[in-house]
Amino acid sequence: MTTADSQSDRRLTARGAKTRTKIVAAAADLMYVQGVTVTTLDDVITAAIGVSSKSQLYHFFDSKEALVRAVVDLVGERVIERERAALGRVSTFRGLRRWRDTLVQNNALQHGAYGCALGSLASEVSDNDAIARQALARLFNEWQDLLAGVLRRIQDAGALPADAPIDQLAIGLMAALQGGYLLAQTARDVTRMATALDMALTHIESLSVS
Amino acid sequence: MRRHFAEVLARESARLADVRDSATLADWRAQVVEEILTPCSSYALALRQASDAPERDDFVDAWRGLITGAVARVMCVGRARGADGSASCVTGGIDPQETAVLILAAIHGGNTLSLVAQDPSPLNTALDIAVAPLLRHLPSPTAALSPGGEIRSAESVT
Repeated sequence: MTTADSQSDRRLTARGAKTRTKIVAAAADLMYVQGVTVTTLDDVITAAIGVSSKSQLYHFFDSKEALVRAVVDLVGERVIERERAALGRVSTFRGLRRWRDTLVQNNALQHGAYGCALGSLASEVSDNDAIARQALARLFNEWQDLLAGVLRRIQDAGALPADAPIDQLAIGLMAALQGGYLLAQTARDVTRMATALDMALTHIESLSVS
Repeated sequence: MRRHFAEVLARESARLADVRDSATLADWRAQVVEEILTPCSSYALALRQASDAPERDDFVDAWRGLITGAVARVMCVGRARGADGSASCVTGGIDPQETAVLILAAIHGGNTLSLVAQDPSPLNTALDIAVAPLLRHLPSPTAALSPGGEIRSAESVT
């Protein structure tokens, strides 16, 4: 648990923990589709099966802010787990291109409508909640480290020069990914995301020792 | 909202028109970063708008068009004269439209990363990486045209 939330520290019964998870998952889904600001606690109560009143929700979260922090934790966990599985053993440019393909294909399913789950949260909460922002910063760093790990393995294999600025390239790649998601969302067209990622990967590949 | 978009486009239109070589490109890049990092600037506010805000699609499209135009213009650096005397652009295999998409993605994505980290470096790094392929193909400001019409950098003139 990365966010401070006194009520989540309270020991929950197994059933309580299940209900809490349902609430957070329902909130995460709603906020992904329609945004954080627009989503009300009533929306969450309606969406969470087995939760029928605000007092039930307040049993676990004393404010929308607290709920949003829990959503950040849950979404962050899912994204990092997904990315770790996808990138954990990639050590070639071809592997990176496949990673890109999967992300673009998944985004294409909704015509880019919802963007990056983590990125969208970052845009909406960074200005309003420092604790949530810090949790998001840690999550993005973790994701970036995964990318840097791939680039280092590529470097170790000799496909990138020893002086390639790995950390900076990882940031550039992440920025292209996040920006790609945003452009795709705005245009309702995943091609923008595909292009941004392709260009970034091509540039990184061009640094390889020929 | 419309005001922020209009203001950014107006400034971008003027600044991108000045971009003609690597130095002026670097100037534009530095100005964009400065604007974005200035709290409550039209750039910062424009980028903050939700991705499905109305007119945002037009705004991003218009900005992309401006950047594409600037990239296409500065890429037209090696005017090789053909046998029939016609001039053509040497674009070095860089697609201006795709380059513009990468630059815009770096601006948007870099902005998100900098916002989350409260640190200007991700935005700067992202733009450096996005602009690098383009810079490699641009002449430095000291490049001069030789009598034959080919671009030669100042260093190669002995």
